[in-house]
Amino acid sequence: MDWSLIWTHRQELIDGLFVALRVSATALVVSVVLGMLLALLRMARAPLSWIAAAYINVFRGIPALVSVIWVYFGLSLAFDISFSVYQAGVIALSLLYSAFLAEIFRSALTAVPPGMREAGQALGLRPARIFFSVVLPQAGKIALPNIGSMFIGMVKDTSTFTVIGLLEVVRVTQNLVSTTFQPFVLYSAAAAIYVAAAFVIDFLFRLVEKLLSSPPQGRLARALRARRRARIEELIVTTSDRREPAAV
Amino acid sequence: MTVDLSGGTVTTTRTEPTAPPDDRRPVIRTRGLRKSFGDLEVLGGIDLDVHPGEHVVLLGPSGSGKSTLLRSINLLERPTSGSLVVDGHEYASGTAHPRGTPVRLRRTVGMVFQQFNLFPHLTALDNVALPLRSVRGLSRRDADERAAHDLDRVGLLARAGHYPAQLSGGQQQRVAIARALALDPQVMLFDEPTSALDPELVGEVLRTIRAVAESGMTMVVVTHEIGFAREVGDLTVFLEHGQVVETGGREFYTECRTQRARDFLQAVK
Repeated sequence: MDWSLIWTHRQELIDGLFVALRVSATALVVSVVLGMLLALLRMARAPLSWIAAAYINVFRGIPALVSVIWVYFGLSLAFDISFSVYQAGVIALSLLYSAFLAEIFRSALTAVPPGMREAGQALGLRPARIFFSVVLPQAGKIALPNIGSMFIGMVKDTSTFTVIGLLEVVRVTQNLVSTTFQPFVLYSAAAAIYVAAAFVIDFLFRLVEKLLSSPPQGRLARALRARRRARIEELIVTTSDRREPAAV
Repeated sequence: MTVDLSGGTVTTTRTEPTAPPDDRRPVIRTRGLRKSFGDLEVLGGIDLDVHPGEHVVLLGPSGSGKSTLLRSINLLERPTSGSLVVDGHEYASGTAHPRGTPVRLRRTVGMVFQQFNLFPHLTALDNVALPLRSVRGLSRRDADERAAHDLDRVGLLARAGHYPAQLSGGQQQRVAIARALALDPQVMLFDEPTSALDPELVGEVLRTIRAVAESGMTMVVVTHEIGFAREVGDLTVFLEHGQVVETGGREFYTECRTQRARDFLQAVK
């Protein structure tokens, strides 16, 4: 076994990882938006919620491999639309993960206490303002760890896109194996790359979670809110000065 | 409750009318207000008038409908039938007045909840400033200054930068009161404002509410603090099974007429 192969081909393997990350990250953005819309639809009145429920149940059940073949080969045969491998990967992942994220968002939205919406209503805030300023920030924080897990799942699912020829980690590994005949070494490297990516993604999501915590936890979170904090300190001084103008 | 007769006002039970005599139009008037949850009727036709400057206390055993009545007044519960007129606009199924939207109603009526319901992701100051910006349309700068001023009124200016999790229950409730007051409502509704508090924190919140009452604010209060109810209530409405059993002025607490109210007062004393 020649372990030095990994070092020799490090650039190809890293490139493969970045392809996987790019497809996954793009699909994550699409899935977050679609997933939130689906969650709201799922929580809406009966005929609308059925559409969302049907979508969620169908697409949660389809494996990524089937999804990408269907998008890349199926759609092009049936409707004469052709996607690049990159586009097909993003679409395939988005179709599946928007269904998963819809359920994550639904449970997060339900987890926000009803008193929060009521307080917003009682203050005379309009529904959109209540959603974006009161409910979403709280639901987002609840959903965040699960979104992180989903993203790790997406990166791993890109490995199936080797069937359409996307040059992600597994495809790169297969290509290297076909010339070096060292599958154990190279697939070990591939596994290590996925594990490392999962660690980094987990770390990043924890960081964001910390940044969003109230009260802020950690130096970075405090630094991000330092300006607002200073403004409030200033208001405390000016307001109490105005209250007692002659108190010298 | 008052009965209007040929332009004059006959106050049947109240001893100290606090509203100016030239303005007897009620801010809130309900007639036959009903609310059912499925087969369960929680409000069985309530007639209530709240006049400007008046402090109305809703009393009654749990399940009597007092909280539902309060929540119906700002449409957190939609009345099943009856009339709800607030500031000259109809918000239920009555037809005598121009209809108003829920948002309009809630901009007239402020509310304080049992569970405070501060937004946990915002500082005390931003809890007060957020509605000032989006409801009153103030600029960020003006909203900040107004919010600081209102926190000062409840004695919490020094805590303006704290998040709800960093405040005691009593402090959170005082911020919630400041948040509602900042919008200059015509009426304030208090839904058991001290029921979720540790006993030693009740006093500070009652002091704040008392100060709001003394400022002349019109108030409707659901409370179990009988001492406080007796002190602040110009008018006490005793409910049971979704019906008004008895209405009385300040004398309600010493010489109520119905046996049911007497039993209740005895039990909570």
